[in-house]
Amino acid sequence: MNAKHLFKHFVIGFCGVATLAVTPVFVDTTPAFAHGERSQEPFLRMRTVNWYDTEWVGKSTAINQVTELKGKFHLSEDWPRAVVKPHRTFINVGSPSSVFLRLSSKVNGTPMFVSGPMEIGRDYEYVVTLKARLPGHHHIHPMFAVKDAGPIAGPGGWMDITGNYSEFRHDVKTLTGETFDMETMGVSTGIMWHLFWAAVAILWVGWYMIRPMYLVRARVLAAYGDEILLDPIDRKFGAAMLVFVLVVVTVGYLAADARHPVSVPLQAGEAKIKPMPIKPNPFVVEVIHAEYDVPGRALRFQLTATNNGTEPLTIGEFTTAGIRFTNSFGATKLDPNYPAELVAAAGLTMDKEGAIEPGQTVEIHIESKDVLWEVQRLVDILHDPDQRFAGLLMSWTESGERLINPIWAPVLPIFTRLGA
Amino acid sequence: MFRTDEIIKAAKLPPEGVAMSRHIDYIYFIPILFVTIVGTFHMHFDLLAGDWDFWIDWKDRQWWPIVTPITAITFCAALQYYNWVNYRQPFGATICILALLAGKWVTIWAAWWWWSNYPVNFVMPSTLLPSAIVLDCVLLLTRNWTLTAVIGAWMFAILFYPTNWAIFAYSHTPIVVDGTLLSWADYMGFAYVRTGTPEYIRMIEVGSLRTFGGHSTMISAFFAAFASSLMYILWWQFGKFFCTSYFYITDDRQKTTKVYDVFAYATLATQDKAKLSGGKA
Repeated sequence: MNAKHLFKHFVIGFCGVATLAVTPVFVDTTPAFAHGERSQEPFLRMRTVNWYDTEWVGKSTAINQVTELKGKFHLSEDWPRAVVKPHRTFINVGSPSSVFLRLSSKVNGTPMFVSGPMEIGRDYEYVVTLKARLPGHHHIHPMFAVKDAGPIAGPGGWMDITGNYSEFRHDVKTLTGETFDMETMGVSTGIMWHLFWAAVAILWVGWYMIRPMYLVRARVLAAYGDEILLDPIDRKFGAAMLVFVLVVVTVGYLAADARHPVSVPLQAGEAKIKPMPIKPNPFVVEVIHAEYDVPGRALRFQLTATNNGTEPLTIGEFTTAGIRFTNSFGATKLDPNYPAELVAAAGLTMDKEGAIEPGQTVEIHIESKDVLWEVQRLVDILHDPDQRFAGLLMSWTESGERLINPIWAPVLPIFTRLGA
Repeated sequence: MFRTDEIIKAAKLPPEGVAMSRHIDYIYFIPILFVTIVGTFHMHFDLLAGDWDFWIDWKDRQWWPIVTPITAITFCAALQYYNWVNYRQPFGATICILALLAGKWVTIWAAWWWWSNYPVNFVMPSTLLPSAIVLDCVLLLTRNWTLTAVIGAWMFAILFYPTNWAIFAYSHTPIVVDGTLLSWADYMGFAYVRTGTPEYIRMIEVGSLRTFGGHSTMISAFFAAFASSLMYILWWQFGKFFCTSYFYITDDRQKTTKVYDVFAYATLATQDKAKLSGGKA
């Protein structure tokens, strides 16, 4: 088989593979329902942003109606070395395109239109106001974007939008007192100018297209030089076109300036956001050992806990990467609207289930065990460059006050049941 | 009106040759040359200046008028070389920008609107067609690529901002949201969620060009003009490099000569072609 045959077979094979690759696009048109959040490495999801109290307000929203995505997060003290520190951050929304229009985003009550720094070890509360735009069943995440580190996805929940897109509009009033629909403002003007200049350009090229363009001219140029080719009428047309373009650009600029006399540059400032005040926490917790049981799909950690408060405390939940492991007590505190696929309602067990009395120091073995470690690909912690975990331990006083303790520690892997 | 008859006569082609040359013109010009420019230039442009052209909240006073003309003049210069030096056709820049915008508008309707559902005003591209026409006119009128690099390339960049102000002036209208002053473009960039494009990604209004009394746009435009001039020279030479063909011929005394006249190759007799060495034509 010579090179020519090899090449032909290669081309035929390449076309065949390309056809096979493209076919599923037309056969299976099922939309994707996730944003690749599970592909983010566990250290990114567990040790950067610890999300809690996330709420997808209004599971179903009609077009043009307003809803909210809100919650809180704690920036982990165990922030990985491999991730740039949060010196420039932005609260974003993970959604399949702009299915909602984001009307406002406030962090601790401060508008966050531009990015800004946040502090490790502190808590923030965000409220994102959303206006329904595109109908459908959408998976929506809060996201925390860190400059030079990338977006870090929070837990995803489903939000439905009903109605027709054709009914959507969003009127915005300018400081000059005019009101425009954001969806259509400037479209007709932009298209008009593009069409106008395209017509002028086609006229310019068409002027030369109506005459022999390439082969004939190349032969003449090679044989006689360009004296015959440089038609005097082309120079006149070129001069006229030059003047015409300069005049139209000037008139267009002046007309636009007169139409919009008040303008401001793009605003590129920095959001100055203060963290939430530190709440006194009488519960002191320190992890002294942690291990991940690979065959058992369980993260076990041993901690010393001291109750310096005046009321008994009961541990009810361990949350990390937006996944909530609760015991029977913690399950009673769960928000019923929290996505069930992110909850292991009986996934938290302890060797001492009872309350920790005031002044008491105990050593507790906690196990968070569920298939979610596998499903959410957090088991990949074993492939991380820095095998540690972090999360939030939640406990409640008898009077119902919730105490939140960030915890973190190195994780030792257990690869076989014998090791466990 | 035109010198067409005179040119055809000088070409010394039979009538069927002239007719065939027109077929070649159409087949080559639209399906091959134009589509090739759409594919290559569109990709080149989007990789270098894409975000400034995609998003309305990237079209600032500093970087947008710098990055866009400098990036766009590249292929224009190379295509001008090809069309002018080989055919004395002064539309290389215009056809280049027309092709770019054809690719842009396909992307806007297919990718940004139909696929991703972003409104057209949010992703409206800028236009460089007036700049390109002026660049072509200057080459035609001066017949000199050095003067075109100085006068034409400067006008190419300087005209960019006023041309596009007619399209985008409204996007700098001030509005107030939650007690914060924003431009219309800022608010659009905020309101239309881009999951993978957080606000800090924007490269806008940063740099020391603002220090000249606040006249950022003027300074940016003149800097862009200077850089475009240099870029024009560089890419004209790229055009020359890629458009120059030659062959070697060895005479009876075994002296080898480099010959640039590739048309001469076509007119050589078969026995003379056999004498060629190198085969690089």
